[in-house]
Amino acid sequence: MRLAAAHARVLALELARQPAYVVPTLAFPTLFFLIFAGGPAADANARLARFAAFAAIGVAFFQFGVGIAGDRASPWELYLRTLPVPAWSRFAARLVPAAAFAAAAAGLVAVAAMLATPVSLSASAAVAVAATLLAGTIPFGLLGIALGYWAPPRASLPLANLLYLSLSYAGGLWIPPDRLPPAVEPFSRLLPTRALADALAAAAAARPAPPGAWLELAAFSVLFAALAAAGYARDEGRRFR
Amino acid sequence: MTPAAELRGVAKRYGATVALDEVDLVVPRGGVLALLGPNGAGKSTALALLLGLRRPDAGWARLGGSDPRLPRARRGVGVTPQEIAMPPTLRAEEALELVRRHYPAPLAAAELVERFGLLPLLRRQCGGLSGGERRLVAVALAFAGAPHLVVLDEPSAGLDAAARLRVWEAIRAHAGAGGTVLLTTHQLAEADALADRVVVLDRGRVVAAAALDEIKARAGLTSVAFRANGPLPLDGAVRDGERVRFAVRDAGLLVARLVRAGVSLEGLEVRPLTLEEALAQLEGTP
Repeated sequence: MRLAAAHARVLALELARQPAYVVPTLAFPTLFFLIFAGGPAADANARLARFAAFAAIGVAFFQFGVGIAGDRASPWELYLRTLPVPAWSRFAARLVPAAAFAAAAAGLVAVAAMLATPVSLSASAAVAVAATLLAGTIPFGLLGIALGYWAPPRASLPLANLLYLSLSYAGGLWIPPDRLPPAVEPFSRLLPTRALADALAAAAAARPAPPGAWLELAAFSVLFAALAAAGYARDEGRRFR
Repeated sequence: MTPAAELRGVAKRYGATVALDEVDLVVPRGGVLALLGPNGAGKSTALALLLGLRRPDAGWARLGGSDPRLPRARRGVGVTPQEIAMPPTLRAEEALELVRRHYPAPLAAAELVERFGLLPLLRRQCGGLSGGERRLVAVALAFAGAPHLVVLDEPSAGLDAAARLRVWEAIRAHAGAGGTVLLTTHQLAEADALADRVVVLDRGRVVAAAALDEIKARAGLTSVAFRANGPLPLDGAVRDGERVRFAVRDAGLLVARLVRAGVSLEGLEVRPLTLEEALAQLEGTP
């Protein structure tokens, strides 16, 4: 754990000193939220929760997806493999700054929501939203890792953007899923972002999540974990055999 | 005693390219071993296998007697790769501290800074350092953990004269304290100045492996050079403008024969072969 903490600290410092990473990661979801903030008051709580998810999964795509893809081509990462540290320690180290950035990005959305919209979350609903966010972003973290291991480094950023924006829109993170265009709605039901949006809307309204939402998120987690593991094995085989 | 590192019967291919073929390489404990060879000889592949970054297709690699893929095997090793590309926003002191934390008894930070003259660089981000400064920090990383074996791939590439001397001093001090250094270099003068053993790779095979003095002795020889304009009564001279050079086992005998033949021997220089000349003799080139 001591080594994981040392690597996490270095990763956090590296990222925190890059305005080109920090500003978009933190500001972009909040700006988007403010663009869509004029929706119905009845949707205010769910909208906060959905945009907090939009902020958190952005970190999963960019910090894991783009970050890992870039690291695969990085001589520094190759050097770190010569140090006496197990692979799991370095991997665990990625989680800490990612969690910190995700919490900060989602927190900014929450602050903007409280200032600009009629949010009225009870304490228990706020806890339920936070817990749903924490558990519900796991499949996206795994998808980000899979992207990092499968995408060529130069293609990872456009691919991450494509996945992030299209999944967010079609899954109903920007506008309530029931207000999606009819052509999009049937596809929306197949997406992990939709399952997350449904679970978050339920948490924000202090009611139980639809039964299928968590099953879907669990199934996507298994699928993305398998993709990530296969990508990791493929990458290890290519670079280190 | 278990060698610091070894490859035994190692073969490695990349597609149709044979990078290493039946290579035995033993890095004994203590001293400096230089791994030499032209580009594409297999030096970097040999290091990658020794450090567990690649798996051999045949044979095996060991670090301190253990599989180099195990983190515990790497506790006794510090590395400077040919290319390291430290994160540009990381400060030099943060990179050094990160590496120090991996070792049970690292070098004191102040000693490391003093040894490599890093004080002016510590607070600067790596992206703002010059190429030579980055290289100096990268070499210091290999020593930061006070490991037994230090592996340096082209350690002085891009360094100015003062920094190169610091690195050479660090290598000598490490070996002098009982440590082991394995280095690759294209500068034979560097190997000549630092190494006590040399392994020469060419096209994936070991073509020479011996103590430095032994290689020089095996190649020959003594260099006898002088100025001469006209034809010489003996074969085997290499001409370089007005100067000619012989590489011979018995310099006295050669000089006596030349004197008897009436050669003037102006500007005569008799000295042991440099490593470069010795290797050229071994490879059969003039």
